Amino acid sequence: MTDFAIRADGLAKTFGRTQALRDVSLRVPAGSVCALLGRNGAGKTTTVRILTTLIRPDAGRAEVAGFDAIRQPQRVRARIGVTGQSATMDELLTGHQNLDIIGRLYHLGAARSRQRADQLLAQFGLEHAAGRLVKTYSGGMRRRLDLAASLLIDPEVLFLDEPTSGLDPVSRAEMWQTIRDLVSRGTTVLLTTQHLEEADQLADEVVVLAGGVIVAAGAPAELSAAAGHTRIRVSLPVARPQELRDVAAALGPGAEAHGRVVTVPAPDGLASLAAAVRRLAASGVDVHDVGLEHPTLEEVFAGLTGDQGDDTAGDHTAHDTGRLETAAS
Amino acid sequence: MTTLVIEPHTPAGRLRFAVSDAVTATRRFVLRSARQPDIIIGSLLMPVIFVVLFGYVFGSSISVPGGNYRSYLMSGLFAQSTLFASATVAVAVATDMTEGVIDRFKTLPIARSSVLIGRTVSSVIIGLPSLAVMIGCGLAVGWRPLGGLGSTVFAFVLLSLFGFAMGWVGAAIGLLARSPQSADALGMVPSFLLGFISNVFVDPARMPAWLRVAADWNPMSAVVAATRELFRTAQGQAPASVWSLQHPITTTLAMTAVLLAVLVPLCVRRYSRMSR
Repeated sequence: MTDFAIRADGLAKTFGRTQALRDVSLRVPAGSVCALLGRNGAGKTTTVRILTTLIRPDAGRAEVAGFDAIRQPQRVRARIGVTGQSATMDELLTGHQNLDIIGRLYHLGAARSRQRADQLLAQFGLEHAAGRLVKTYSGGMRRRLDLAASLLIDPEVLFLDEPTSGLDPVSRAEMWQTIRDLVSRGTTVLLTTQHLEEADQLADEVVVLAGGVIVAAGAPAELSAAAGHTRIRVSLPVARPQELRDVAAALGPGAEAHGRVVTVPAPDGLASLAAAVRRLAASGVDVHDVGLEHPTLEEVFAGLTGDQGDDTAGDHTAHDTGRLETAAS
Repeated sequence: MTTLVIEPHTPAGRLRFAVSDAVTATRRFVLRSARQPDIIIGSLLMPVIFVVLFGYVFGSSISVPGGNYRSYLMSGLFAQSTLFASATVAVAVATDMTEGVIDRFKTLPIARSSVLIGRTVSSVIIGLPSLAVMIGCGLAVGWRPLGGLGSTVFAFVLLSLFGFAMGWVGAAIGLLARSPQSADALGMVPSFLLGFISNVFVDPARMPAWLRVAADWNPMSAVVAATRELFRTAQGQAPASVWSLQHPITTTLAMTAVLLAVLVPLCVRRYSRMSR
């Protein structure tokens, strides 16, 4: 029998006239990372709020860390860590005081609370700011402190509601690394995100929510593949018709040119890219940049729900993975 | 990785954790208030302004039987400061409910009552320095507690207990208000009604009969009468005509107990059910 850290069945929740969740069921194996992916209003946060005992569902069951989140909320709370979208650290206290207080509220006792606060501040690179008021912290530092507060008991299950929203790219990359480190120590993580890239980077399983129901679930790669069109994107230094035709010929069937960019479907991902790079090198065309483009969240939705969203066609997000730079002589 | 799961296993353990949670929450609110110098300065200036304003502006035209109005007034001002503290709790609780920190507290394995107890207890603690300033101002304008040390200390204990109960009135307002702004406006209502329809500033004997009934049974009147009795600043006044003011100490203790018995469970229940 697989050990599930989170097991939810048929969750439903209505706020006033808005049906936030209809029949959501989840299974998250212990030690894995599950990403809830969806737009604003898809039901991600409502799901997290039910699982973290903040609200009761109108229907359905939820079991977290082995206890019923509805009937035994205190037992669940003693085993989980939660970092929500809004800042929860007191600006008028120091970083150390904030963690110390949360530790005491987990009933770690004064000595162990202080000790865990010191450890976590060091682990998150905040020891130099431990004695400073949180109002002097940068946005990235506040997020790290908030996350540290969720880790005082080394929780069995960690909930992260949009952990990187509003962070600059450097802080976001740091947060990703932090989450990976936690996972490598065995923590089960349920995170929500609006970015496919984030889910792709962190999650073992991605659950796509739209309109309060699960529209797809699977490993990130499966999901991207199901949504279709990962493409190879080749850009040229200048848009000369002859060279565009040469590149399109080298890339093979399905190639499309827009300006000085040529794209072609990459059914086998990196393997397709490697083959395309060999053919381009053989063709001798002067190429500026070659890379793989994954579908954006909007395109995943378009693929899954038939909904076009508000994205413009062809507006792919370039992905660092698999990108190759060629000399532009 | 091993999760540090710490849970109470007996009712006594649960109670011990609940007390520890309330102490921690109180500590948090006291610590943060110590970091707000502007509010601290304001709260220390208020007693000076009140004693001077009411003592000399009203005191010049109001006379009380038995002599010294400023001596008479001080008990009223001590009690009135509990109403202002209550209005502050209303805004603080309403603000708490709009901030992410409450979600953090609600996902922790703590007693549901701890945040509200922390707010109301810390309100009494935070009020102590301004109470000290007010005592100093009272002494400066001629107020003298003449009942002996024991009675004087008991009077301030009674005021603090009453202030704690009024803190829960503030908490209830803060939980019912839709925003910190509306809590601010609503919080003024008890301050005015309880503060003025009472014996805080004047002897209710001269009020119209219908208003006098309200003033006689106003808990503020009881606590003010109780402290006047304990300070022995009520000499020369006509004896009270109603039971509540003939036995003001008992009435204050009883009303405080009733307020707490009703408000604490209601507030904690509303707090637990409130979800943004």
